[in-house]
Formats: sequence, C-alpha cells, structure tokens
Amino acid sequence: MKSIMIDLDACNGCLTCTLACAAAHSRSGSIVGAMQEKTPARIFIEAVNGRAVPVTCRHCEEPACAEACMTGAMRKDSLTGLVSNEGHEQKCVGCWMCIMACPYGAVTAHPRERVALKCDGCPGLPQPACVAACPNRALRYEEPAFFAAGRSRDAACSAAQAS
Amino acid sequence: MSNCGNCERTGTCVSVHGSINEMQDRASAMGVDTVFDRYQLQQPQCGFGMQGICCQLCSHGPCRITPKAQYGICGAGADTIVARNLLRLAVHGAAAYSHHLEELARTIKATAAGKTPFSIGDEEKLRQIAGIIGLDAARPAAELADQLADVLLSELRKGSDEPLALVKLFAPKTRLEAWEKLNVIPGGVLSEIRDALTKTMSNIDTDPVDLLLTTIRLSIATGYMGLVGTVTAQDILLGTPALTRSEADLGVIDPACVNIVAHGHVPLMATAVIQAAKTPELVKLAREAGAAGIKVYGSMCTGQELMQRSAGSAAGFAGQLGNWIVQELYVATGAVDLVMLDMNCSIPGLKAAADRFHTRLVSVDRIVRMAGVEDHVDYEPEKAARQAEELVKMAVETYKKRGKDIHVPQAKSAAVAGFSVESILGALGGSLDPLLDAVKNGSIKGIAAVVGCTNNRNGHDVKSVTITRELIKRDVLVINAGCCSSATQAEGLMTPEAANDAGPGLKAVCQALGIPPALNFGSCVDIGRIGVAVTAIANALGVDPSALPVAASAPEYLEQKAVADGVFAVAFGLLTHLGPVPPVTGSPLVTSILTKDVEGLTGGRVMVEEDPVKAAEAIYAHIMEKRRGLGI
Repeated sequence: MKSIMIDLDACNGCLTCTLACAAAHSRSGSIVGAMQEKTPARIFIEAVNGRAVPVTCRHCEEPACAEACMTGAMRKDSLTGLVSNEGHEQKCVGCWMCIMACPYGAVTAHPRERVALKCDGCPGLPQPACVAACPNRALRYEEPAFFAAGRSRDAACSAAQAS
Repeated sequence: MSNCGNCERTGTCVSVHGSINEMQDRASAMGVDTVFDRYQLQQPQCGFGMQGICCQLCSHGPCRITPKAQYGICGAGADTIVARNLLRLAVHGAAAYSHHLEELARTIKATAAGKTPFSIGDEEKLRQIAGIIGLDAARPAAELADQLADVLLSELRKGSDEPLALVKLFAPKTRLEAWEKLNVIPGGVLSEIRDALTKTMSNIDTDPVDLLLTTIRLSIATGYMGLVGTVTAQDILLGTPALTRSEADLGVIDPACVNIVAHGHVPLMATAVIQAAKTPELVKLAREAGAAGIKVYGSMCTGQELMQRSAGSAAGFAGQLGNWIVQELYVATGAVDLVMLDMNCSIPGLKAAADRFHTRLVSVDRIVRMAGVEDHVDYEPEKAARQAEELVKMAVETYKKRGKDIHVPQAKSAAVAGFSVESILGALGGSLDPLLDAVKNGSIKGIAAVVGCTNNRNGHDVKSVTITRELIKRDVLVINAGCCSSATQAEGLMTPEAANDAGPGLKAVCQALGIPPALNFGSCVDIGRIGVAVTAIANALGVDPSALPVAASAPEYLEQKAVADGVFAVAFGLLTHLGPVPPVTGSPLVTSILTKDVEGLTGGRVMVEEDPVKAAEAIYAHIMEKRRGLGI
C-alpha cells in the first residue's frame, strides 16, 4: 500500500505542501481561497536548527490515536489503510485523547471547531495534495519498499564511489 | 540563537551583548515581541527565496526554479531570475543613498543662504573639493558651498550617458582602466537607477551577465555619489570627524533625564536637536517637568555620525545605544521618551513596543512613515532650528507620562571615535608613512574593513565581533562602520586597552599611537571613507587597490544598501566577505561570476563563509597572499 514517504534532504522549507493541503481541504479548493477561509493545514514543517523537517500522519498499522478514541470516530479504514476521524457514524467530540496519544504530534485541534484535525490522506485523489504540490520531490506517494529500493541504490552508489 | 561560546548561556541567548540578552528576557516577561521572537516564528524560511530563484514580477507568476521546472513561464532560467533580483536589491540601495545625498545638498544650499542652524563645518575641505571639481576655490565659503551643492545635485540628475565627474576625479587610474573596459563607468545616479529598474522589468534585460554588469555600474555610482559624495558633503557641512571619546551600550541611558534617541542614517535633524537640547530655556522646561536635564542618544548610523562628530557639531552627544536589532529593546527600558526616525531602518515592530510604554515615535523625514505614528516633523533645512525645538518640547511632554516600570542595564563601554583619513593623518603627524611602514615591516599584516549591518541569523552581533577579534589577533587592523561599529563598541573593542587582545605587532602599534585595534569610521555611509582611505594608500604605494593587503567583510549584511556597498567593494578590487549567504546560490552562473570570474575583471570577488573564524582565516590568507605579491 502506498504511503507518504519523506526525503528529508530534498525539503527546502518552502511550505508549498501546507498551502496545497489547506487548499484541498478548503471550500474554494484554491490556495488563495484557503488563506482567506483560514483553512488549517494538516501537514507541518518544523524548523530544527534552521533545517526544515516535514511532519505528517504515518497512518500507523496500530494507530495510538484510534486506540485512545473514546467515541470511535477515529478509525483506521481496513480497505484504504487511512486513519481519520471524519466521515464516520460516530462523531468526534473533541476530547483530545488522540492528540495526547499520537507520538508524532500529527493530530491537532481544529483552530475554530471542537474536533481533532489530522491528515485524511486525501481520499479520492490520485495522490495526496501535499505530495502533488511538492516542487522538490521531498514528499512522495510510493510503496515503502519502492522508496527503500531507491535509498539502497543511492547508498550502494555512494559506497562504490567512495571505495 | 547565539553560539559565540563565551559564557554559560551559549545556545540559549540571543546576542553577543549581555545588555541585549538582559533586555530580551525583560521583553519576553512583559510580552513585548521583538525581532528575536518574530525570527523564530518565521522558521523554516523558504529555500527558493533563500536561493533567489523565485520571480514575482508578472501575473503569470510567482514562478520558481524547481527540480521539475528549470524555467519560469516566460522562459527565464535561474541565472536570469537571480541576477535580476540582485540588481533590484542594488537599485533600492542606490535610491536610498541618493535620498540621503539630496537632503544634504539641499541643507548645504540653505546653510549657504544662512537659513539653517548649521554653519560650514570644514571650510578647508570645501575649498579642496571645490578646487578638484573645477570651481573657483577662492570664492567666499557660502558661495562656494552653494555651487558645490549645485554640482552634487546636477551629478545626481544628469543622464546615464554623461560620466560621473566624481568617479573620474576620485577613482584610482588603474580602476578607471578596468571599469572602462567593462563599460561600467556610470552617469547620473538617478538616470542609472531608472535604467536599472527598466532593465529589471519583465522581459527587457534577461541576460544574466549584462544584469550583473549593470549591478556593478549602479554600485560604482552608489560608491562615488552615495558613499564618497555623501561623506564628503557631510564633512563639509557638519565637520570632518576628529578624535574623541564617547560611550556605547544601553547602560548610557540616564533615567533621570528627558531621553531622546536619534535613530536612522541622516544626522541633520539629530544635529539640530543636540544643539537645541542645550539651550537654557529648553533645559529649564525639562527641569520644571522634574527631569535632571535633556539627553540625546544615538541609535544605528545616525548615532555613529553624531559620535564621530561629538568633538564638534554634535558636542553634547550622550552615547550610542546600539544597532538595528536594539531599537525595540531600548524602548523596552521604559526610559526612552522620544525616538526620532530619520531615513531607513525604523522597523514596524517598533510601534508595538513603543505602545507598550509611553515612548513617542516621530518621523523626521518626509519619506519615513509607519502605521500608527501620527507625529511627523519632516525635516526642512530652513525650518530645522524650530523643528528641533518642537521635538525637544514633545520629548519633555512625553517624559511627564513616563511610567514607573523602568529597567536600564548596567553595561556600557568607553569608545574612541572620530577616525577619518584626516584625523588619522593628524595622529600620524601629517603623513601616512608611519602606518605604511608598519604594514611594510609586518607589524600590521593588513587592514580589513568589517562593516555593514547586524543580523540575527547567527545570533545578534556574534559574527561581527568574532571576526573583528580574530582579525586583530592576527595583527590585522580593523576598520568598523555601520551597525558593526555599534557591535564592537559595546564589547570594548574600540578602546585603546583592547590592544591587549591584538597580536604582538598590532598591539605595539596601537600602544605607540594610543589607538584601539578596531577603528570607528562611523556609519554605513562612511564605507565611502574607507574607499577614500584605500585610495590614499594605493596612491601612496603606486599600486591598484586590488594589489593591497586589504579586504572587506560584511559579516551580518541585512538590507539593500549593503548589497550596493558589497558590489562596489568587489568593483573596487577588494576581496569582499559576506556572512549570510546572499540570495544568489540558485544560479550556478551568478555564483561562479561573483565568487570567481569577476576577479579577472575587477580584481575583487565575493567570499561567502558563515563560520566567522574560518572567514577571518580566509581574509588573513588573502592578506598574506597580497603581501607576497607586493614583496613585503
């Protein structure tokens, strides 16, 4: 199953992913519209000693957020593998258990509504909006094994050049 | 965060100065946002902007050069976009310097007509310069000053096809030859600005090499008019700096007094205010309000101009508070009553800080406006005396509203100031020979100008102070100007005692002459004075500036005037170190030209090095290479 994979060295902190994420989740569907609607982004670029580090939901196999959810709103879809508190019969009540449970801080509180907010994986799109928008290919929507194969090839090339 | 490694707060402090760390702690506790706080909120910053490969000129954009898009929609590649962005930055610098010079020329004309509180401060220089530019130097001073101001104004305004007289008259011959080959001898500055701005419009000049040559041409215009011209005219009006003593850092603030801060770059209104603050009736007004007196402090380059002339037209100057980053923090002492904002570098954040206290902000230049600042006493030469009096009265009124929550750091340092080519010649007994001999015999290995802005990228003033310390340790005499002067002043490097931190050769020279190892040349516009000094040394030795054991460093460059200054230094033939990486790295061509290829054309080049110790080592290596070239 494909996942959002991150090539940390390729990220230059341009924040385009956050804008695209907000646009995809806004009423207008546009970047400028999302800025006017104040739609929050669900992917975060942290700065660590001046270096940009993308942080987004890993859609864990055994999600701590879903485990902690009291109402059952936060669930992992067995078909798509996506973890979300949206579109289910049970409603999110904003108890924030999921926020406290997530070790990555990938779940946050909606700035104006009392619901938890997180990456929903952009269901219905061929790839998540953040990945599609990344100009540096720092975010990729790939099978983890495919990403790993690329890494292992790169490592092998470096080793061969160094020897 | 600061990483100077000098104390136990390394990694958690914001500045190399204890006073600033102390005030930032107070500001944080009071909920006053500063440059340091907003800097953190801006992280991470966009890599496209950092590399200069973002173009926002047309409505097809913004375009960025990315791994998947090597060209903007119009077809402009990284080289074009970077070179065009760089030229636009230099245009801003050239324009701002021109404004300064124009204000000065207007003031000289009004002074010649007897309508200002100023008098001609250096008649000897007036006659000397008038003679060089072909005026009849025997005419009465007022008439000559008026004519000189007219020449400056017409030089500013003439066409770009009419070569600037000041370049032809003041540049070393070898420089003129190099510049003629490149066709970069500029005409009137305002025309050059028009040409450069026109070229940077979408799809007019899209040749990165021509854009860089235009940047050089504009920067030479800036160098000889905005820098050398302004410094010279300012000396003629306000007096050439003479050696004097002053003080720096926030500890100079006296909470018992009505406190006025002169902030910015153009010292005209500030000089009038210093003079007004001494008049008995205004002092009486301050005493009636309960204050011990009236004090006028300096901030940024206006402060350096005042300090440099505090033995003359700015007598009574109460000391320098600090540089660009310090503005919100001196307001946060609660003891500053009025800040007069003249041209350039008054940050919008200052208003929020001032509102937290009683501090009144007043713009004193017609082009300075800040949201929420409603007091404008826009400088007019003919009205300056009355305007200065009005400003002092406003400060006294504001003093009455001062709150009880006042905290002034103890830290302050003595500082020797007033260095100029003339005052150095005076100290050396009328000839440059003692200095040149010290360079020739190796006591002084060379001279480095550590100049320009301050910047928070590596912690406030960390790089300028570290580079200055590392250079003097290696027997390199340092000349400071601009915000770098405030940085080294506060750390005591402009005291004769700082010679103890210098290498043995430089230490001996400093002790023999009683001078500091870091000489204050003044404000950022006084970089022109460094150009004059290097020209004098080059002429005395009969070589081109690029052959001399000298270098320039702008270790914390921040804004657009510094871009024009930096390119001028490269055009002048100097190795020019830049601290923060300028936004050019997205273009391999521009990066290669600026850091390598230009050396074959002008003799100068840009050296980018973020580590201040490595930068000092590289500057030292360059100086030693030039010494070998001269056979000394």
